[in-house]
Amino acid sequence: MVRDMVRDFVDEEVIPKIEHACRDGVFPDEWRVALGEMGVLGAPLKGYDCPGLSYTAYGVICRELERGDSGLRSFASVQGSLAMYPIWDFGSEEQKQHYLPKMASGEWIGCFGLTEPDYGSNPGDMITKAEDMGDHYLLNGAKMWITNGTVAQLAVVWAKLDGVIRGFIVEKDDPGFSAPEMKGKHSLKASVTSELVFQDCKIPKDRILPGVKGLRGPFSCLNNARYGISWGAVGAAQACFDSAKEYSLSRIQFTHPIASYQLVQNKLAWMLREITKAQLLAYHLGQKKDAGTWIPEHISLAKMNNVDIALEIAREARDIHGANGILDEYCIMRHMANLESVKTYEGTHDIHNLILGRHITGIQAFTREL
Amino acid sequence: MHFQTPRVRSLIFIDGIPVEGTSKGNHMTIAVLLKQVPDTTAKISVNGGRVDENAVSKWSFSPYDEYALEAALQLKESAGGEIVAITAGPARCEKLLRDAAAVGADTLVHVSAENINDLDSTQVQKLLAAAVQKSGASVIFCGKQAADTNAGSTGPGVAELIGASCVTLVSEVSSDGGGYTATRPSSTGHEKVTASAPCVFAFDKGVSEMRRPNVRGIMMAKKKPIETWSLGDLGVDIEANGVNIDSHSPPAEKPPGQKFEGAESVSTVVSKLRDEANVI
Repeated sequence: MVRDMVRDFVDEEVIPKIEHACRDGVFPDEWRVALGEMGVLGAPLKGYDCPGLSYTAYGVICRELERGDSGLRSFASVQGSLAMYPIWDFGSEEQKQHYLPKMASGEWIGCFGLTEPDYGSNPGDMITKAEDMGDHYLLNGAKMWITNGTVAQLAVVWAKLDGVIRGFIVEKDDPGFSAPEMKGKHSLKASVTSELVFQDCKIPKDRILPGVKGLRGPFSCLNNARYGISWGAVGAAQACFDSAKEYSLSRIQFTHPIASYQLVQNKLAWMLREITKAQLLAYHLGQKKDAGTWIPEHISLAKMNNVDIALEIAREARDIHGANGILDEYCIMRHMANLESVKTYEGTHDIHNLILGRHITGIQAFTREL
Repeated sequence: MHFQTPRVRSLIFIDGIPVEGTSKGNHMTIAVLLKQVPDTTAKISVNGGRVDENAVSKWSFSPYDEYALEAALQLKESAGGEIVAITAGPARCEKLLRDAAAVGADTLVHVSAENINDLDSTQVQKLLAAAVQKSGASVIFCGKQAADTNAGSTGPGVAELIGASCVTLVSEVSSDGGGYTATRPSSTGHEKVTASAPCVFAFDKGVSEMRRPNVRGIMMAKKKPIETWSLGDLGVDIEANGVNIDSHSPPAEKPPGQKFEGAESVSTVVSKLRDEANVI
């Protein structure tokens, strides 16, 4: 029933408007309202007016949202996994009571500040720092590639306090904080991407997340977001497959539908095969998440594989669509361009390979130092 | 086609039994009659002269029933009371009831009828009328017609069987605590029709689309019990079909169109579109 609810929303409210939203470079506010009303934000979190669904159900929601657009799923991922989750897991009781109900309803949008202009795959070397000024903290630094940044009422920002990475809740009106939007994207055009700038940004002492120190904090959030991506990519792939199937059945060349030719059928069969495998992978991972038997490497494998095949499926689908595949009349190029971002964010494809490589060999290959 | 449609008392307004308290806090039970039909976007396969139900990819509310349900939810919100969602059909219909519960229906009633497609309109009306009476509802909302059969007889038929007023083609219903006011089209625009319980309102396109469910509603709906009533429970005796289809004929075939090819035919096509079809 949850799947049908989200699927109907995407069919009725998102797909008819997505190309317009992309052209305008906006995330329609009514989608924020609808996601809040449906009660899917922070889907697997329990209490504090959060939905309390299973991780498998959360995954299905991500799949359905990304069948519409990766920007839509990104909005939900950032809100739920990257902004609500750290407050839910590492926040004080007062922080949970104050922020989570407003975020679950969509009234407040959150964002997540980890990546910096010079530190993406190695966030441990981040520059952004916090200083304890006695009665407040002072933040200085900059974050980049932040989904929802400009439209968010709060940011969960990771900064070094005395050399240790800590989480801080920054509200949009805090002095010294600004979030200019990044323009000129060819990907995730219906999603707001921003910089977060902290210039002597003064925040109250009760905004630090008390429950976590070090990279475990942001990585815990990323694990949940990456899990959602492993499902979301399946949705994007399904959209491309559906379009390719319909197009190939209606496109006549050499007096027959191109779907009747073996080369096209081979492509469609391969797409279906990979979608099915990816979905089984995501589903199995969802079961492990719900049972608490997962490890981060499971998530790396699923995120990496599923985004990879979704991108390949988008390319094959574009091929089947011929020249028409480049038009925004079809969803193909939009998904393909989106997936290029999805392949890189939340741990690049290569970094996930290195995570698996370390797991297999016991040797880390992220840095030159062994 | 020969229909033995029951006598419909009125399509405009007949006073019924005085309504028993419709103000907030008093108990008003609204029965909403719902039919599950193949979704309008679902592909239909015909097998043996019938729709192959196993091949229907998606079942949905009949669209006019959605307007009835939404209007009932709004009436409950403004005037209080309880909503009983009633459907008749095979086991697959339970999904429909859960969907109704997810948006706010309080009680779910499934009139079990595996052979629903073998029953005619009057037999279905009997089932539904008995279920309405067993539910204790005094106000009944339904769609003006179902999207699959388009018979349009359920509302008036149930009203006749339970001795209720019936207002059809309704877009909106409100309650002032002493009766119900329905908005429906008239020859000059819209008219307000008042009725008191027991009454049936058969909905045309309403003023509000059915609301979207939310996760909380869905979780509650999954736990909500469904009361399943058999013909025996309802004490209904379904006699032989009261509807006899004497003959059936497809619509007349359209005359063949004209085909033009090549740039040299443009002027001919334009003149035909302008002078014969009058579309340009």
